[in-house]
Amino acid sequence: MKLTVDERWDLIDKITKQVVKYGEYKYTLKDAIAELTVKPLTGIPIAIAVLYGFWAFFGAFAGFFTDGFFVKLFDNHWLPWLQGVFPGKGGWLYYIFVGDPKADNCFEAFGVLTSGLFVAIGVVLPAIIAFYLFLIILEDSGYLPRLAVLIDTVLHKIGLHGFAVVPMILSLGCNVPAVVATRTLETKKQRFMMATLLAIFIPCGAQLGIMLEVIPEYVGLVMIYLLAGFFIFGFILNKLIPGRSPEILLDIPPYQMPIARNVRRKLWARVKSFFTVAVPFVLLGVVIVNIMYLTGFLDWLANLLEPILCGWFGVPKETVGPLIAAFLRKDLAVAQLSAIEMTTYQLVTSVVLVSLYFPCVATFAMLIKEGREEGLKGVLQYLFGSLLALITVVFLWGGLVHLIWIILGVA
Amino acid sequence: MGNPNVGKSAIFNRLAGAKVMESNYPGTTVDYTKGYMRLENKDIEIIDVPGTFSLEPKDKAEEVAVKMLKENKDAVIICVIDSTKLERGLYLALEIIEEGYPVIIALNMWDIAKDKNIWINIEKLENILGVPVVATVAVSGEGIKELVSKIKEASPANIERIVERAGGLEK
Amino acid sequence: MRKKLSEMNYGEEGIVKSIEESLRNKVAGMGIRVGTKLKMATKQPIKGPVVVTVDRYSISLGLGIADKIIVEVEE
Repeated sequence: MKLTVDERWDLIDKITKQVVKYGEYKYTLKDAIAELTVKPLTGIPIAIAVLYGFWAFFGAFAGFFTDGFFVKLFDNHWLPWLQGVFPGKGGWLYYIFVGDPKADNCFEAFGVLTSGLFVAIGVVLPAIIAFYLFLIILEDSGYLPRLAVLIDTVLHKIGLHGFAVVPMILSLGCNVPAVVATRTLETKKQRFMMATLLAIFIPCGAQLGIMLEVIPEYVGLVMIYLLAGFFIFGFILNKLIPGRSPEILLDIPPYQMPIARNVRRKLWARVKSFFTVAVPFVLLGVVIVNIMYLTGFLDWLANLLEPILCGWFGVPKETVGPLIAAFLRKDLAVAQLSAIEMTTYQLVTSVVLVSLYFPCVATFAMLIKEGREEGLKGVLQYLFGSLLALITVVFLWGGLVHLIWIILGVA
Repeated sequence: MGNPNVGKSAIFNRLAGAKVMESNYPGTTVDYTKGYMRLENKDIEIIDVPGTFSLEPKDKAEEVAVKMLKENKDAVIICVIDSTKLERGLYLALEIIEEGYPVIIALNMWDIAKDKNIWINIEKLENILGVPVVATVAVSGEGIKELVSKIKEASPANIERIVERAGGLEK
Repeated sequence: MRKKLSEMNYGEEGIVKSIEESLRNKVAGMGIRVGTKLKMATKQPIKGPVVVTVDRYSISLGLGIADKIIVEVEE
C-alpha cells in the first residue's frame, strides 16, 4: 500500500506526537545571524562584505605567498641555478625545459621546469588554497543558500534562479566541478545555460591567481567586464533557448560552525586533485607550445590569423601562442601573455580574450560528459550550442573591448 | 539516503573508512559514491547518494538518488535523518519503506538535537516503525558501531502495520 | 482571512489551506503541507523570493511558487 501525501504527513504527525518532546527553545545568536543575513536590508550589505572579504583574502593570501616567497625562490635561486647546470644550452631540449637562456625571471623563460613549475606551484597553488579555504568555510557554515536567496531576483531575470550562484562561485575555483554542479538546477534549459555561460565568462581560480600577478590593477575591470557579459548574454540565451525556467525552491539549513577536520579533509582533496589533474596539464602545455615554436608552426599560424587578431581584436599576432596554450590551461596562457611585448590595453584585451575563448580541455570534456547525461541529442546540443555561443561571444565581446579602447583613444 | 545536509557523506565516510576517494565537489553531493565496508568478514558495497526530500526528484542530483534506489532493488537502505528535523526525514523514510525496502534509520546530529532540547524516544520510534533506529553523531563517530551491528536487522516494514501502531489515520 | 502565501506580510503567521496539485508532492518533502503552520520570515524586494519558516525549517520559494499556496491568516 502507498500513502497519499496528506496521509503520509498525517502519519508523521501522529508518530512525532508520540516520540518527540520539544524542550524550551532558546533563541540563539545563530538564529539572529540567520535572520540578519537573509533579510534584504541587512543581508545585501553583508553579502557584499562577504564577497569582498573573499576577494581580499584571496588576493592577500595568494600575494603573500607568491610575491613574498615563490617569486624570490624561483627567480633568484631556481632559475639561475637551472640555467647553469642544465646541459646543452641553445639546444632544443634546453629550450623546452629551461627556455630562454637570457631570461632573468620565470615568466619570460618559458621552459617546463622554469615557467611551468613556477606558474603551477608558485602562483596557482597559493591561489587555489586561498580560494578553497574560504569557499569550504562558506559552504560548511551554510551561508551559500542565503546568498542564493539574496541574488535570486537578479538571476531570475536571466532565466536562472538563486541557486545558480553555487555553480557560479564554484566556477571561480575551477569550471570543471561547476559544470557538474549545474545538475542542481531543475530544467535542461537552466543547466545548459549555466554550463555555457560559466564556461565562457567565469575565469577559474588558477587564472585569477595569475591575473593578480600579471595585471593586478586591471583584474577588477576584467571581472566586471566578464560579469556584464555573463548577464547580457544570459539574457539573450534566455530568450533564445526554449524550455522552462522554474523558480527557486530551496531549503535553508541553519548555520553551523565549520569543523576543522572536515575543512582540512576537503581542502586536501582539492590540493591533491590540483597536483594530479592540473599540474600535468600546465607542464604539458609548455611542452606543446615550445614544440610549436621550434617547428615554426606558431609563426605560420600567427601570420595566418594576423588580420583577425590585429584588425578585429587589436592585439599583437604573437598572442596566438597563448591562445593555443589556453586550450590546455588558462593560467599558463595568461602567464605567457605577460611575456609578450604589448601595451597594457592590449594585455587587458588579450586576457579578456583568453578568458572568453575556448574552455580549457578539462572543462570541455566535462561539458560533453554532462551533455551525454541528457542523451546523444544532449551531447550535440551541448557541443554545438556552446560552441556557437562561444564564437559569437568571443567576436562580439572580445571586439567590443577593442572598440572601447578606440573610443577612449588608447588603442 | 536522506535529506540534503544531514550528514550522509559523513556517515558514509565512517562506514567505508578512509579508503574512499573523495569524488564529490564542494557545494553539494551531486553524484553517487561507491565504497566497501567489512561486515561479518564480507566486503559489502555501500553507495552514498545525493540528498533528496522525496522520491519525486526535482533536479538531476535528486534524480541520481532515486535512480540508484530503483536500480538496487535488493539493497538495504540506511536512512539518515537530521534529529532536529525528524518530520522531514520521516517523510522520505516512509516513502522508502512504502516501496518495500529494508530500512535502518540513523538519527544523526543527535548531539545538536540534545543541545536544542529535542528529545526523541528511540525505542518507541522503533516499535512504531518496526525498523531499527540508531542515534548517531557522524562527525565524532558516536553510534556508528551500533549502526553497523544493526544493519542485518533491517527488514521491510509493512506500512499498514505502522499506521495501525501509530493509532490510525484521520479518515 | 484567506490569501496567497505570496501576499502574506512580513512576520505574519498562517495555516496552509490548499496547495496547487502540481506543486503538492514537490513541497511535501520539504515540510510544507495542508494544515501546517507557517510564518513569513522575509520577503526580498523587486519580486524576489520569500522565505518562510515551517516547523523549524526555513524554506525559500520563488514568488510564482508562493502564489500557488493558499493560507488562512488570523486578523
